[in-house]
Amino acid sequence: MVDATMRFFEDLDRRGFEPLLAKSAGTLRFDLHERARTVHWLLKVDRGRLQVSQEDREADTVVVTSPALFEDLAAGREHGLAAILRGDMTISGDAQLLIQVERLFPGHPEARGPRRRFGDREVG
Amino acid sequence: MAGKSNVRILDGSTFVVSEETGDIEATPIEPSGLFSLDTRFLSTWVLTVNGERLTPLSYDDLQYYEARFFLVPGMATHYVDAKVSIIRERAVGGSFREQLTILNHDEKPVDLEIRMEAAADFADLFEVKDEILNKKGESYTEVEPDRLRLGYRRGNFKRETVISSQEPARYDKRGFAYTVHLEPNERWDAQIDVQTFALGPGGRDLRMGLRAHGTERLALQQDLEEWLAAAPKVNTEHEELARTYRRSLVDLAALRFSPLSLGGATLPAAGLPWFMTMFGRDSIFTCLQTLPFTPELSKTTLRILAALQGTRFDDFRDEDPGRILHEMRYGESAAFEEQPHSPYYGSVDATPLFLVLLDEYEQWTGDIALAKELEPECRRALKWIDDYADLVGGTGYIWYERRNSDTGLENQCWKDSWDSISYRDGTLPPFPRATCEVQGYAYDAKVRAARLARECWGDPALADQLEREAAELKERFNRDWWVDDGGYYALALDPDGRQCDVLSSNVGHLLWSGIVDHDRAEKIAQHLVGPRLFSGWGVRTLAEGEVRYNPVGYHNGTIWPFENSFIAWGLRRYGFGEEAATIANGILDAATFFNGRLPEAFGGYQRELTKFPVEYPTACSPQAWSTGTPLLLLRTMLGLEPHEGHLAVAPCLPVGMGRIEVLDIPGRWGRVDAFARGRLNLHHAD
Repeated sequence: MVDATMRFFEDLDRRGFEPLLAKSAGTLRFDLHERARTVHWLLKVDRGRLQVSQEDREADTVVVTSPALFEDLAAGREHGLAAILRGDMTISGDAQLLIQVERLFPGHPEARGPRRRFGDREVG
Repeated sequence: MAGKSNVRILDGSTFVVSEETGDIEATPIEPSGLFSLDTRFLSTWVLTVNGERLTPLSYDDLQYYEARFFLVPGMATHYVDAKVSIIRERAVGGSFREQLTILNHDEKPVDLEIRMEAAADFADLFEVKDEILNKKGESYTEVEPDRLRLGYRRGNFKRETVISSQEPARYDKRGFAYTVHLEPNERWDAQIDVQTFALGPGGRDLRMGLRAHGTERLALQQDLEEWLAAAPKVNTEHEELARTYRRSLVDLAALRFSPLSLGGATLPAAGLPWFMTMFGRDSIFTCLQTLPFTPELSKTTLRILAALQGTRFDDFRDEDPGRILHEMRYGESAAFEEQPHSPYYGSVDATPLFLVLLDEYEQWTGDIALAKELEPECRRALKWIDDYADLVGGTGYIWYERRNSDTGLENQCWKDSWDSISYRDGTLPPFPRATCEVQGYAYDAKVRAARLARECWGDPALADQLEREAAELKERFNRDWWVDDGGYYALALDPDGRQCDVLSSNVGHLLWSGIVDHDRAEKIAQHLVGPRLFSGWGVRTLAEGEVRYNPVGYHNGTIWPFENSFIAWGLRRYGFGEEAATIANGILDAATFFNGRLPEAFGGYQRELTKFPVEYPTACSPQAWSTGTPLLLLRTMLGLEPHEGHLAVAPCLPVGMGRIEVLDIPGRWGRVDAFARGRLNLHHAD
């Protein structure tokens, strides 16, 4: 069930450097909360350099949501900013950092992107 | 907005639209209310005294954030005998506050039952013109001893209005009341506070940590005074112009808006009442207009748009990597993805215009640090133009075709209504479409990015490449878009390369962008001030004589002040100072009919026919890019241009404008003054 979540964080950790976060710095903790159990993911951003751990440490930004919603976000089936507006994901602390990190979530798996035409042909 | 609800006060994205009594009774045709975060937090707010509605004697919009209403009980026929008068004073700024004052003018004591009916339908801004019938969530009302709580809940989405009075009141499910005894000449006051909440689980407000302008009246006043003091002074014998300038500055202050989660920095929201939010296109155009006067707005706008630049493919939001957003909304329909505005990216001009604004900003301010800071976003924007916007392979133009066919925008250019793009026979072309002005912006974006690459990013190879691409684009464009039998550029191309060969205002943007071949510029200038396009007040969106021309057609004949300001700038760029002054003069004359506050659009009727500009029925006002218009016209008439590190001044001012001095123009030169005297006799103006 939590495959996409795990893959998302492993990928960030492996990536090491993310140009989209080159201007961001701070720590962001995701609390994936379900009944009495909370799973923590701590993302440390230092001018684009990324480090992921599962520590429950104080962070500049704390994001609380359910493991199921996070799984959908990590798979691109749900959208982070809409989830915040709905109240399904809450932020405390530095919201700007989350807005920047949110851009790392993938697009929808079925997204086609712009279609380019060459004469009568259409290519994806 | 038509109808009787015409008193509006606002602060950022919070605003109140009410009747002249101060009452709010929202209906689909009177979409009044207290709005915040694209949600209506009060849909009923009606004051009665002894069961009687009140009659207005007068009202004042004291400042953009406050208004005062003088009222008496009863119907208009017998108010002359009124022994009691009522004053409602209100302000927005974070929350909404209303101060009630009642004065007894009689020689006898009076007993009064004062009641406020209050209700909230929590309509999304996208619903307010419809009957609010089938809300998907549930409403609730909680009566507490010292407050009334109106709420709406849908899953974790929760919005609440909390009403409380400092003076003890009796609260019930439909409002609150006071029983008051007043001796002769006695007065009574009550202060009512209405707070709006956007709550997530655990009671956290969505806006927590957001710095508003300040919720206190004094803080708002101080903020406005500082804003006005920081802007250049305009001294002129032309009183109307002075008034228009001041009106514009105050309205710009009102339209400043802090997007959620971005640290409280402000950018211009698009306009009241439907567009109190962030729009890529509108915000950028407004910044370009206001840059010589309020450069800080440009800095925050560029940073915020950069922070929300697209990074992935999202067909619902029409998002691509590198694309600059079109519109951000915070209401229920965006939250539940019934509308795509979280944010929506369906515009093709915001991305090239982002590059144009950054270059213009750097030329004025010398803020090379920002130009460097935004280099990665600029490179992504350039890549979007080349890789994702050319939907008809090999043409090298920017095209659009929405991928969200339910709620996305069909026309992703500034003329975004459904019927704005047509052939000469009036039929609408298939998609993808490419409109001419966007190719101009793309050309300008490449030329300007080349300058940034050479002077700020230390990448002369990129600069050479961009200049080459721009030159090729210009050549191609002048070949494919020129309408031979009309002597102008086509409005658009269809996917087969066929021209939408109507004469439109869009050709004026092309001068501003510099994509017009020099030997064709004069023809374009003649069209712009010629009888088919120019009404005497301004340039029509579509020329008289075209099949779809209609003087009150939203994008098919009305006159948009914002567009005229860019057309005037473009005319000056090509050396047509007199034609530019003709347009500037017409639009500034029109402004005097609106007390210095230009509406979004007005009718394309001939000036001699109506003698006054006919406001478009549902036009928004104040609207940011109309508010910015007089500032850009001033710049254009004075010929203010940054030039090799100093400010060049080359006035081209009509005689009727008299003497104008603009003092303390900020820029890389520090602050300098500009002076001009009206010397130009216009043929075209009245």
